[in-house]
Amino acid sequence: MRVYVSSAIVLFLFLSPISSLSAQDKYSLSGVIKNGETGEVLIGAAIIIRELPGIGALSNAYGFYSLTLPEGRYTYQTQFMGFKMRIDSLVLNTNRVVNIILIPVLIKVNDVTVSGERSNANVTSTEVSENKLEMKQVESIPVLLGEKDILKTIQLLPGIKSAGEGSTGFYSRGGGIDQNLIVLDEAPVYNPSHLLGYLSVFNADAIKDVSVITGGMPAEYGGRLSSVVDIRTNDGNDKEFGGSGGIGLLDSRLMLDGPIVVDQGSFIVTARRSYADLFLHLSRDTTINQASLYFYDLNMKANYTLGDKDRIFLSGYFGRDNFSYPNIFGFNWGNTTGTLRWNHIFGDHLFSNTSFIVSDYEYTNSVSSGTSQFEITSGIKDLNFKEDFQYFTSSQSTLKFGVNSIYHTFVPGTITGGTPSGLISVNLEHRYALENGIYFSHELNVFSSLKVNYGLRFSTFSLLGPGHIYSYDSNGDPVDTAVYSSGAVIKTYTSLEPRLSLNYLLDETSSIKTSYTRTTQYLHLLSSSTETNPSDLWIPSSNNVPPQYADQVDLGYFRNFDDNAFETSLQIYYKNMQNVIDYKNGADLQRNPNIESLLLYGRGWGYGAELLIRKRYGTISGWIGYTLSRTNEQFAQINDGQPFPATQDRTHDISVVFIYDYSSTWTFSATWVYNTGNAVTFPNGDYRDYFDQRKIPYYTNRNGYRMPPYHRLDFSATWTLGPHSNLNFSIYNVYDRMNAYSITFRPDPNNTNQNQAVQTTIFPIIPSVTYNFTF
Amino acid sequence: MNIHAMFVNRLTLFILLAPAACCLLSCQKIVSIDLNEASPHIVIEGVVTDSLGPYSVILSMSGDYFAPSSYFPPVSGAHIIMTDNMNQQDTLKEIVSGTYQTSTIKGIPGTSYQMKVAAQGTDYDAVSTMPQKVYIDSLYSMIRTSFGGNTGYDIYIMFKDPPQTNNYNYYRVNAQSSALIPTDSIDGIRYRLFTDELTKGQEMTVRIRSGDKVAKGDTITIELLSIDKAAYDYFNTLSKILSSDQSPTSLAPQNPTSNISGGALGYFAAYTVDTKKIVLH
Repeated sequence: MRVYVSSAIVLFLFLSPISSLSAQDKYSLSGVIKNGETGEVLIGAAIIIRELPGIGALSNAYGFYSLTLPEGRYTYQTQFMGFKMRIDSLVLNTNRVVNIILIPVLIKVNDVTVSGERSNANVTSTEVSENKLEMKQVESIPVLLGEKDILKTIQLLPGIKSAGEGSTGFYSRGGGIDQNLIVLDEAPVYNPSHLLGYLSVFNADAIKDVSVITGGMPAEYGGRLSSVVDIRTNDGNDKEFGGSGGIGLLDSRLMLDGPIVVDQGSFIVTARRSYADLFLHLSRDTTINQASLYFYDLNMKANYTLGDKDRIFLSGYFGRDNFSYPNIFGFNWGNTTGTLRWNHIFGDHLFSNTSFIVSDYEYTNSVSSGTSQFEITSGIKDLNFKEDFQYFTSSQSTLKFGVNSIYHTFVPGTITGGTPSGLISVNLEHRYALENGIYFSHELNVFSSLKVNYGLRFSTFSLLGPGHIYSYDSNGDPVDTAVYSSGAVIKTYTSLEPRLSLNYLLDETSSIKTSYTRTTQYLHLLSSSTETNPSDLWIPSSNNVPPQYADQVDLGYFRNFDDNAFETSLQIYYKNMQNVIDYKNGADLQRNPNIESLLLYGRGWGYGAELLIRKRYGTISGWIGYTLSRTNEQFAQINDGQPFPATQDRTHDISVVFIYDYSSTWTFSATWVYNTGNAVTFPNGDYRDYFDQRKIPYYTNRNGYRMPPYHRLDFSATWTLGPHSNLNFSIYNVYDRMNAYSITFRPDPNNTNQNQAVQTTIFPIIPSVTYNFTF
Repeated sequence: MNIHAMFVNRLTLFILLAPAACCLLSCQKIVSIDLNEASPHIVIEGVVTDSLGPYSVILSMSGDYFAPSSYFPPVSGAHIIMTDNMNQQDTLKEIVSGTYQTSTIKGIPGTSYQMKVAAQGTDYDAVSTMPQKVYIDSLYSMIRTSFGGNTGYDIYIMFKDPPQTNNYNYYRVNAQSSALIPTDSIDGIRYRLFTDELTKGQEMTVRIRSGDKVAKGDTITIELLSIDKAAYDYFNTLSKILSSDQSPTSLAPQNPTSNISGGALGYFAAYTVDTKKIVLH
């Protein structure tokens, strides 16, 4: 690793000689920006030097900032949404470490001090298509059953589309559900959903910061084609013990936090459990009252500061879903992640984070009926090492570089059969792979109005033994088996992934940004559904399965109005994806040793325009997002080789989010969404099967039809009962729109000569209430 | 593993959730969908079995999906030749419009058959090999008490899978009873398919679940078909379209994989049949 790191530094020095020149009489100002009440570090807080317009810094994911300035006396202001801006001054004649404390603003209406804290960061940053979600807003946005859910809230942003009614799965700019990198405290999460996809595994009480990147993905991220959802959890209060909780229709949750050593270390534990199954026990039916249907999850985190230079974090997530009917079937799945991180600051300019991560997704399905039974298990396990550096070379230039190595173990499905199921136990071989990434990126103010962030990521992926590796002929029949010993390299892929983004500042409140990104994905999610299911299977690239590649360009115009009260942006993008996966006709993805022979590889491409008008602050806040887009796919073996609209191709997609802080006791919010229906395949005719005496539908064009447009209004009201509790009332689907979850075709049960189409709606109007408290 | 698909169904989840949140009731309604008119497409069904002939090939055209009819135009005047790999050749005769019959060719296990059809100016061609015959050893039935309150019968079919070195064996089990699974029932897949992929050379037990309409004393006829891979692929891909337990969000449906070259719908299959009856009690 060391060799890689130093070569990255050399590369950087070669590329930008400016930054290391003329350092005479320059000193650093660095430190951590924290919440003064809880000691939580603040991510993305801005520090601005008043004497030097255009010079400033944002705190990183660990609250660290660093600025390099000429010797002098400075006044600097520090600001972060929801906190009182503070102004300090100092004489900088030596390197200084200054930890800055910000105090949260209490609930306020028409608070004039807020206006001064508005930031134009959206205009000035080089992030082209990155959105940060304010957790405060997430809390007031209504969602299904009153459950705050970040994965559903991000679906309200332009460029991101829901995979289906109530689903936590999403599509980013026409990419597939598996093309989203979802990272919880540096650990990738492979299946981010509870309840078969209806609720995300992320407990909003545990979350501090969420950023969503749909374009211009920085070089530190890799391994997925389309987007990054980077989720950071709270560190816990390092001053006093406290907690919060909530009681909802679906689940209850509890959070406890407090200091380990005051001002030095803290812990936080959050837990949730659903209780739908408790109602099942009331049933008189002996089968139903023994059924179980629940999920729970647990987030734990502890951190400790060792002096000015070091901080360690230990965090874990554990979640399980269980869904079973006694003696018929059982079905459980869950994620486990654990992360050990060490922050170290070398000198005053170089910030490092070292992470050791384990991640495990496991799924078990058991079926028993009468005397026959079998069990299928599958999953993916990761051992992950990550080293990231951030080098603040000057106030004009920041360098990031690092390495990441992941050792994947794929459990493709093990069947254990009982007698007399007629099934013998099958142990599909595990697959092993090593995925590496090394990157650097450099953000540089070329001149005061032009910022550039260029970077390069080099990734490798090796499928490793042991294993029996098949190769297939054009019919998909196995022609050859090669046997590899443990650790032997079966197949290696490498990829160079350039990343570039530019920001040209037109004036203080408007800019033009553009980016180009190449991304590579070596893991593929096979699903027998257009939505996510717990049984979906992650498989590695191999001698038979090529990696997926994507190239994306985008261009955006950003403009803020009314002293940064209104943020607007208009972006256009074009994305091309190679080796996207579809399936051969009738492919059986479960427990299939020849699964790799059932895949088809094609091309996907999408383009679109995204408009966002957003108001972050004030009595009334929210946003309007509109996306006009197209996504196509083309496979030689599908639709006679002609391009067809992808399932996620939705021409129009509108989200309106409206939050109204009516008074100190009432907050109202509403969301309205509209989107063109998914592209679907309907029968174009039917024919008679004479031997089996029945009619069979006949299909011509893949995805040649559209589901009806989807639209829905949700409403939520939060009633603050006192300083420590509130009641949230919400109504999902206020005007009871019968949205089509599916349309299926069948013969009319009363007249089998006549076919009919049946539309299923799963979520009519649904009111709910949740009680939340803190202590 | 259809059982799996059957339970991993979001609607099932909601049936379970319903007692907890009484408002979470999914609802269904009949909707009118405007489907494009597809030009009629030829459908060829050809079958050779190890029973006594004659064997039939039926030619018809597809129709509009919502047309209120069970009538599909037969294709007359086609020229159909069936040959086997022992140089037997048989030109089929059209006995009723669209239905053509063999006169001399015999269905013998282990034999390959070729069907050539010339119809409406296009040539269609298919080959199928009749596998070795597999016999049912025994049948038994059990009353099923199941969740959801439905009761019916489970019928178990036991037979020995012949060991073969390289290829898999493919089977289809048909159950015949007017009450068991009525013709054109909306969930009516009247057969089950399976392979010996995981059970090569073993004693096999296959279960057929009846609906709740059969009663004690009913006679069920069970047919065990040994089919080739192409026929298995056809029936298997067909069942994906027809199965009522397919999830509403399942992948885009496709026409069944046909072994007939030339672009026809349908299939040509040579298979063996063993039949046994069981009286439920």
